[in-house]
Amino acid sequence: MPAHQDPAGGTRPEHAHQGKDANQPRVTLTIDHLETSVPAGTTILEAARRVGIRIPTLCHHDDLCAAGACRLCVVEVEGQRVLQTACTFPVTQPLTVRTSTPRIRRARRHILELLLAEHHGECTRCFKNMTCELQALAREYGVEQPRFELAAFPVPPRDTSSWSIVRDMGKCVMCRRCVRACAEMQGVGALGIVGRGYGTRVATYLDKPLGSVACINCGQCVNVCPTGALRAKDATDEVWAAIDNPRKHVVIQTAPSPRAAMGEEFGMEPGLSFTWELNTALRRCGFDRVFDTNFAADLTIMEEGAELLQRLHENLVQGVHERPLPQFTSCSPGWIKYIEHHYPEYLPHVSSCKSPQQMFGALIKTWYAKRSDIDPADIVSVSLMPCSAKKFECNRPEMRDSGHKDVDFALTTREVARMIREAGMRLPDLPPSGFDEPFGDASGSGIIFGATGGVMESALRTVIEAVTGTRVETLFEHADIIPVRGFEECRLAEFRIPDRVGPVPPLLGRIAGDWEWLAGVTLRVGVTHGTANARKVMENIKAGGEFSTCHFIEFMACPGGCLGGGGQPTPANVRVREARARAIYAEDTAYGEAGKARKSLENPAVLRVYEEFLTDGPCGHRSHELLHTHYTWRGTFLDPDA
Amino acid sequence: MLAKPDALAEEIDASIARHGASRHSLIPVLQDVQQRFHSISDLAMQTIAQRMGIPPVEVYGVVSFYPLLNTRRRERFLIRLCRTVGCDMAGKDAVAQQLRNDLGVDFGETTPDGRFALEWVNCMGLCDKGPALSVNERYYTRVTAAQVHDILAACRENEPLWGDTDAQAHADLPIRGDMSMASLDNATGLRAALAMSPQQVRDAVCGCGLRGRGGAGFPTGTKWNLAAQSPGTRKYFICNAAEGEPGAFKDRATLIQWPDVVFEGMTIAGYAMGADEGILYLRGKYASLRERLEECLQRRRKAGLLGGNILGSGFSFDIHIHLGSGAYVCGEETALIESLEGKRGESRNRPPFPISQGLRGMPTVVNNVETCAWTTAIFAKGAAWFADLGTDQSHGPKLFSVSGDVARPGVYEFPLGVRIREVLRVAGGGEAKAVAVAGASGPCVPAKDFDRALCYEDLGTNGAVIVFGPHRDMLHVAENFLEFFADESCGQCAPCRLGSAALLHGVRTLQKGACSSRQLQDLYALGETMRLTCKCGLGQACPTVFQSIVTHFGDEILGRNPAAR
Repeated sequence: MPAHQDPAGGTRPEHAHQGKDANQPRVTLTIDHLETSVPAGTTILEAARRVGIRIPTLCHHDDLCAAGACRLCVVEVEGQRVLQTACTFPVTQPLTVRTSTPRIRRARRHILELLLAEHHGECTRCFKNMTCELQALAREYGVEQPRFELAAFPVPPRDTSSWSIVRDMGKCVMCRRCVRACAEMQGVGALGIVGRGYGTRVATYLDKPLGSVACINCGQCVNVCPTGALRAKDATDEVWAAIDNPRKHVVIQTAPSPRAAMGEEFGMEPGLSFTWELNTALRRCGFDRVFDTNFAADLTIMEEGAELLQRLHENLVQGVHERPLPQFTSCSPGWIKYIEHHYPEYLPHVSSCKSPQQMFGALIKTWYAKRSDIDPADIVSVSLMPCSAKKFECNRPEMRDSGHKDVDFALTTREVARMIREAGMRLPDLPPSGFDEPFGDASGSGIIFGATGGVMESALRTVIEAVTGTRVETLFEHADIIPVRGFEECRLAEFRIPDRVGPVPPLLGRIAGDWEWLAGVTLRVGVTHGTANARKVMENIKAGGEFSTCHFIEFMACPGGCLGGGGQPTPANVRVREARARAIYAEDTAYGEAGKARKSLENPAVLRVYEEFLTDGPCGHRSHELLHTHYTWRGTFLDPDA
Repeated sequence: MLAKPDALAEEIDASIARHGASRHSLIPVLQDVQQRFHSISDLAMQTIAQRMGIPPVEVYGVVSFYPLLNTRRRERFLIRLCRTVGCDMAGKDAVAQQLRNDLGVDFGETTPDGRFALEWVNCMGLCDKGPALSVNERYYTRVTAAQVHDILAACRENEPLWGDTDAQAHADLPIRGDMSMASLDNATGLRAALAMSPQQVRDAVCGCGLRGRGGAGFPTGTKWNLAAQSPGTRKYFICNAAEGEPGAFKDRATLIQWPDVVFEGMTIAGYAMGADEGILYLRGKYASLRERLEECLQRRRKAGLLGGNILGSGFSFDIHIHLGSGAYVCGEETALIESLEGKRGESRNRPPFPISQGLRGMPTVVNNVETCAWTTAIFAKGAAWFADLGTDQSHGPKLFSVSGDVARPGVYEFPLGVRIREVLRVAGGGEAKAVAVAGASGPCVPAKDFDRALCYEDLGTNGAVIVFGPHRDMLHVAENFLEFFADESCGQCAPCRLGSAALLHGVRTLQKGACSSRQLQDLYALGETMRLTCKCGLGQACPTVFQSIVTHFGDEILGRNPAAR
């Protein structure tokens, strides 16, 4: 990551007010002698950015509502008695604003000195060194020796109870970004503000360890933390140790979202994929094999698509409702923990398919181990994921169907970037190389799993083709199913299956004898991303709303889907996530242009697995053993103290 | 007493049935649970969270914010001793030490047998008769170290004391001086106001120059006009009786002596601004006043002075009482509104102001108790009577709570513009070396400035006058006030949360005689930053006392040698 990043959290010129521009009346204001006009209601901060004036911020984050807590963005507004926070002050009438006067600069320095007086930083030994927003601001304002002291209080111990997230609250500066991300952006509410006065702090319910409260491990709090107070639990030392152990066969699978974002860690513009350079980097780091998680994504589509067809058959034809509709996707571990906590009565709706990470893990330590003649106990299976919840997922006790931990370590994009840097490489400079056999290159369907709507699109490509017997390209141009793409909070789409259906492909023979019962049926699907939106969809279903009539709904815990995951490079915002999505869809398109498979059921490696290993087909006995799982009714109630 | 799970669930369900299941009812429901079970347990917090559909950490956040809500379970007797300036000057240290000696525990601790817990509390509004302490809900005033034994013995013999309230402690408080409110007939003012149009009422209030008596001095009529002009399906009028300023107890006196005058003023204000609902936000520590106030409201409803079609005017308005839970910052209007919505009392970003988006997003006016009372007087006695009193820019009479080193502490009425010297003469504080003119929020004025006037154009005041005699250590005064702020800050904005703590640390460095002149200058400048950057009036006012003491008492506070004292 560049050392001189914008501490404001990116250089987003505009998104919050894009929609408003057209119909809002405009207001003229003068900022530092520059006259400009903005739509009424634009904040001073936003207006200043539009004319290229940078106002320092700490508690502000583009993804979150304004807090006005740190007071670093104070400016002088003519006619106002005291300084005003640019991040909260709406321009509704002509204003004259100054953003850098002696008393403003002095105030900012004072506030930074106060924050540093409380901050138990240890900059040279902190993982945020050089990327810490507090550090950057301190440097900018020339704070070297804080002049103010505060009463000493014990440094809170690090909370390492969670599989995914480590809290080091001595470094917290009370900007409340994590609380807003948790409560408002994600609607989870694992973190909150407690106490009062000088003792106010960010805490969990009754200050319990994070690992014991209803946290879904999504890591959005980590993504927005300006200091080193929050981080994903780091597993790079363990992975290096495995690499350095000659007895271990260390394999890594890489998911599509990190590949579309890893460049940002090396100073590149968002929106560039480094899939093939990354393969080289990982090999040079010492991984014995580099596999493509997209293979497992294709496998997931086969299994989840087959399960959907099974559920449709059970519910629409057989009148059996043990596995009800709509079917919910299961690849987002944050979403899984969320529904286990908040809507456990809906767990029968969740597909029993493991996520691609875990399917791959199970196959690596069974099929791959056997055909490569390696003792699975000697395989260390690593994954590169955009996600902090994957760390929790791979440690779930349910995820040991291979007889071993299916996946040993899940690394985030940020962790792998650090390994690459540590090994002395700069990703964009490396030559490209392909993935290793026997899994080879996947289909384009797997790639778009990384974006919201991607799982749905992939599933539809395969299901529609399997049912109609017609190439999906003849129904949708380039097989692009546009209605399920996009960043809207909750999306609904309908697809009418033609009256003429095709024969049941042999692989799916166990589901039904024919597809006649699907002829002319309108498939209704839903897509949502971000847990706060998932909650809206669940409440809609509870109330018998339009989402309850769906057949299949894709849920992703993070905004934008996996590409906005809690293990991705920071800073991020809507603009960055849109760029990553473009990179992902471009890669899918490139698969088509190169004549490679874009549908899971065309992936030769997937077909080979069903031929050689999972011989009773998707959702067959063998795949149920290895590739499917079950869930835990958690609820939100914690065992109360006696 | 431990709550049995089913009894607890029953109480919570009954309370939610009374107050509603929305988040806005959170604090009344928590108060009910505490009233019944004397503490709010883990199980209670989780059950309430589940019933209201909010995360449990939100409930915990609220409980841990309000000092009068507590999660302690074991002890029978919770002893809270006031540590704020009035009680401090009256000798709270000796009482504290005796409590420690007799119980064998320190503040913040519980006796090993689990019977007594000792806690500090900030101002209880009994500044005229400190030191004050409370045992559960019973108040003791003018406590001496020698009485500690008797109080503890009474607890041991007469347990349990829970639910036993002592309204007398707060009730015994006459108002001295001009007593303008005493001559008000019931409903004269209200009748006069209802005979006018709302616009005429607002014009009259603008014309007579009434400004907010809570301290900020915002023109009352302007506030009403802005709220009246703001669009909203509902509008609210809130009477701010959160009185928590150290040294302030005039609102308590007014509510005790002339509750009708206050409620009538609220009704007139509601009429003028177009509200149909009034809320009296009553300070949690004044819970003992609630019963009489409810009786007064009931009387007024029966007399047709509240409720539907008041006095045949077609105007309908009712008032209910919301009890606070002990947070000083809830006297700040946006924090008060947050508190009414069941949240931590954290001040809001402005704009938008409450007059356009206040309670539940609707136009809301928040006025101090005294502002409401004077409103009634203005319509009963005539706007001219009011306008003629006071100075050019500060019209009308004002109530002052006078405490500290005076012979006759109490509540006094003077016209605005009264000189400090005159207040001291009447209350018997001739020897004073300094006077805090706005509680913890205003400056400490040195004796050389006693001819200055208490009014908006000179020394703005909320009426809390604290007198410091010649023997008082002004650095100790600064320490006491800053302890108050460091504890009462809502904890939201950095300059207030950390600035108050930094100033407090600075005062302690001065006490050790270890503060360089340069450091003192830095601290003074930090105060300036706080005044300019804090989010609300609490943080902006926090450094004022400190700065005034540095300015006027530099000789006294610098160069100390603790070893020599």
